[in-house]
Amino acid sequence: MSTMVKVRRRIPPYLFVGAAAVYLAIFTATPLLRGVWLSFTDTKLLNPDGGTFVGADNYRNLLTEDRFLSSVVTTLLYTTLTVVGALVLGTAAAFAINERFRGRAVARAVLTMPWAAPSIAVVLVYTWIFNVEDGVANRSLAALGIGQQGWLLDPDRGLLAVTLVSVWKVFPFIMLVVLAALQSVPSELRESGRIDGAARLTIVREIVLPHIAPTLRVAALLMTIWSIRRFEIIFLLTGGGPVDSTNTLVINVYREAFQNSELGRAAAIGMLGLCLSLVVTVVYFVVDGRSARKEAS
Amino acid sequence: MKRWTGAGVGRWLAVVVLVVFAGFPIYWMLNTALTTGDERFVGQSLWPKLSRLGNLFEVFDSGVPLLRWLGNSAVIAVGTTFFSLALAVLAGYGLSRYRHFAGRGLVAFALFATQMLPEALLIVPLYALFVSLGLMNGLLGLVLANTAFAMPVAVWIIKSAVDGIPYEVEEAARVDGAPRFAIFAQVTLPLVTPSIAAAAVITFFDGWNEFLFASTFIRSTEKWPASKGLSSFIGEYITPLSTVFSASLVFTVPAIIFFLLVQRRIISGLTAGSVKG
Repeated sequence: MSTMVKVRRRIPPYLFVGAAAVYLAIFTATPLLRGVWLSFTDTKLLNPDGGTFVGADNYRNLLTEDRFLSSVVTTLLYTTLTVVGALVLGTAAAFAINERFRGRAVARAVLTMPWAAPSIAVVLVYTWIFNVEDGVANRSLAALGIGQQGWLLDPDRGLLAVTLVSVWKVFPFIMLVVLAALQSVPSELRESGRIDGAARLTIVREIVLPHIAPTLRVAALLMTIWSIRRFEIIFLLTGGGPVDSTNTLVINVYREAFQNSELGRAAAIGMLGLCLSLVVTVVYFVVDGRSARKEAS
Repeated sequence: MKRWTGAGVGRWLAVVVLVVFAGFPIYWMLNTALTTGDERFVGQSLWPKLSRLGNLFEVFDSGVPLLRWLGNSAVIAVGTTFFSLALAVLAGYGLSRYRHFAGRGLVAFALFATQMLPEALLIVPLYALFVSLGLMNGLLGLVLANTAFAMPVAVWIIKSAVDGIPYEVEEAARVDGAPRFAIFAQVTLPLVTPSIAAAAVITFFDGWNEFLFASTFIRSTEKWPASKGLSSFIGEYITPLSTVFSASLVFTVPAIIFFLLVQRRIISGLTAGSVKG
């Protein structure tokens, strides 16, 4: 085969993938690299090109600041609560609507709505629901004899409220993923379990769960990295407050850049947040590889 | 007659609880949109005033520039969809059909990695880039920024759909001597149209909903998309709640309808395509 033919055979994949790759290089990779550079400088918002190299100072300072460390804790707490909440609720919802019943299509549609609703509309309605004086949450609690809660204003409630809204928004994703996986469980498998006289729960544990586990793991990974970077819902509900109680890393990046004008520090915070996501992803692939091998053997 | 088993009742209860939990805030948007001004203080009824349904559309004459906002959102959304699909149809096909080429792993990883990137981190470098390209305060800049985040998801959805088309379908055409690109365009693409439609919906609403870029890159209020416009109601107590939530509904309902139509394909694309490279 002549070299010319070889070259012509090698070109096609790049014709298809090239444009997207170049696009990502310009609008994602280059800004990201610039962000890496910024994180080693003392750049200010008002003079974005005038920063000087300061080595690892931003990182060193951040890692010794209580405010930053508590932001890491808030991120981990928010992410864990949201992921666990969404997994539990989403899986429960999937099992609840997996079998046929009257009204199933309607139930499924209503259960999908939160995922489809634009974040800004979600935030508006939850701000109103959680309104201290007139919101339906506190009015209902008052009817039960429970006093006013400061949902979005009370530092002890802020993270809870933000997590609740986030779980509400994203659990349908898990539900739909699990539902799709459940419907791919071969019915013979279930039948054989039933003939053996196995109890419902045993069938679920021994047959259904192993079958949906790989999908569930992928969904959990996506849910985790999405939670680490979630911005709009938190920013618009609380802006990181009250008293920093919902100040996740991503909110912190925004505040540091646009409220404190510290672009260098903001970039460093963003990088550390990104590292967190990378660690989670690597752990996922290690665990996934191990379980896949276990399931295969 | 079906027996009422314990498990049956349990499931029925679970469904009711979940449906109320999921549906209530959406319902509350509608209910509040149908109120009159003074109800806020006397306590809003749990039941909607359906007789006021016609008043929902008064929001267009309320002085809130909703039509202009929605128009801007639509421009951003259409642009994002156009660029994302143009890139993703090609890339999705390429990643599915060519398994071994230098840089494939890198491209696949980059596509996945965008899901981890906080937009807030990219804002500052993008800001600098847009200033130098003269894209500040324009809808095109938003389209380009949104495409960077929406396109990878579209690639996965389309790639996983192409994965599902047996290669033999293309080989038959190949034997007849059709060039590769013609096979792609005339044989494979028509078979994955439903997934392309799903990708179109998800990218469209990525652009439609996007808030952070819109609120940092747009200065003039007449270029605000609806996400930014609606966010100006937060913490503002002058606009009547019925107006705020009528506007929210007008913004939300199209998203819900389209998502419901295509969600199955989005799900399979996201989970199958994202990680299995």
